[in-house]
Amino acid sequence: MTAGNNMKIDPVKNCPFNRENSPFADVVLSSRARLARNLDGFPFVNRASLSDCREVASLVKHICDDIQEKEDLEWVNLDELDNLTTELFVERHLVSSTLAHASHPRAIAIGPELSRSVMINEEDHIRIQSLRPGLQLEEARKDVDTLDLRIEEIIAYAFDEDLGFLTACPTNVGTGARFSIMLHLPALRIIKDLQLVRNACEGMSLAIRGYQGEGSKAIADLYQVSNQVTLGYTEEQLCSVIANDFLPSVIKWEREGRKTILENQFSKLEDQTHRSLGLLKNARMLKLHEAMQCLGNIRLGVCTGLLENVDLPTINKLFIEIHPSHLRWEFGRDIPDDKLASFRSELIREKLQKC
Amino acid sequence: MTKCDLCTNPAEFHDVQITNGVHKTTNLCRKHAEEAGFNLGKIDVSIVLEMDSLKMKESPVALTCPDCNYTIAQYKETSLLGCPTCYKTFANQLKHIISNVQDAHIHHIGRAPAESKSINRHLEVRRLLKQLDQAVNHEKYEQAADIRDKIRELHDCGEQHED
Repeated sequence: MTAGNNMKIDPVKNCPFNRENSPFADVVLSSRARLARNLDGFPFVNRASLSDCREVASLVKHICDDIQEKEDLEWVNLDELDNLTTELFVERHLVSSTLAHASHPRAIAIGPELSRSVMINEEDHIRIQSLRPGLQLEEARKDVDTLDLRIEEIIAYAFDEDLGFLTACPTNVGTGARFSIMLHLPALRIIKDLQLVRNACEGMSLAIRGYQGEGSKAIADLYQVSNQVTLGYTEEQLCSVIANDFLPSVIKWEREGRKTILENQFSKLEDQTHRSLGLLKNARMLKLHEAMQCLGNIRLGVCTGLLENVDLPTINKLFIEIHPSHLRWEFGRDIPDDKLASFRSELIREKLQKC
Repeated sequence: MTKCDLCTNPAEFHDVQITNGVHKTTNLCRKHAEEAGFNLGKIDVSIVLEMDSLKMKESPVALTCPDCNYTIAQYKETSLLGCPTCYKTFANQLKHIISNVQDAHIHHIGRAPAESKSINRHLEVRRLLKQLDQAVNHEKYEQAADIRDKIRELHDCGEQHED
């Protein structure tokens, strides 16, 4: 299926999770960097008139056209985009739910594999984002930095020498940078040591959230960890706190936890893995939460060597592809809500047929 | 009855200060209260909140951002500011808020933007148009003419570049 407009990118085929062998992929699913920027001389989006928003979008489009050759960004006006593709972008975390459902002029410029993007007129005029598989936080930081430098060659950002980049919400002021990683921590949950991770986060001013980010609960033992503070540190320091101060211990604890479970709770782990695989391969109707939890369980099975014929990228992609809009993209946009569970189970059976 | 903090006489002056969520209570007798410079009226309990917010609440004309007409009350409703100038307008109030949400950090040490080029002209014209509007509204026609000339210069300069 293709999007309603002339968009060339296929959001399903183009996925950063297609790649094998991402660094520390057993624990870290993905790394994300995001910069919040505002144009000098304009009110922030929440205070901007429709004509301000149009003008901001037109200026940023002009910039994206200018840097097109170097950055390969495709411009998509969100008010011209059909609902399904918009929702699909939300599921891919390319567009926030707030931006998707707003009515003011807003857009997104997307790079290849949908890994780099620029959101226009979200909470801030510009939000530059990069998503990479596994632990590649520093690389993601460089991605957004490169894009940021190209944009600021052309336009003046709202900046204060003392406070840094000025953002609509003071929680983003300073660097405007938010770095986050998606972690899979099933062993720490099973051996009841998740508090270790929470304590580490608290000590390093990091926030820990569920799969969907702010306000969401943990599904499938997936957790998002990001910097809470954006002021008083350099971008490199903020990135390093997560990648070098926080993560090595967490990866070590989770891996040790998996070993402990293999040694002391082998039967339980084996049962959980094959019970979940059985359900995923045989069920004819799967609800999202149940499918996510089972996928999390078989992911632990793969990482502990109990399952061999399924690879991590397949599971990582399924975490995304079993969401409603991805299913509708794959099987037809008119699928009613009560039929989604059937199509979800069909997709999972197809992807897991080898194991 | 509560006694004076400084002697054994009954306290007539009670002051509760709440700063950043921390309560500090002072109880003084008439003599010590007057020595401390407090004027005792008929009401013997005064709750002195953080001065900034008190001034703001009681001020008949709330502080308004000159660029976007935003007020701090609107910020409190939405947790969002109206424009970059709001950071200067509400600097006193934001100082505490930023310090709270940013782990006591108040200075940026990260990257600063390099000087940008082409679209700066566009933003400068935008700024001048706003000034022109204000000058005309205040009937400052000489100033308006100067601004108009500057806009023309920038406009001509832009056309030459595009040629």
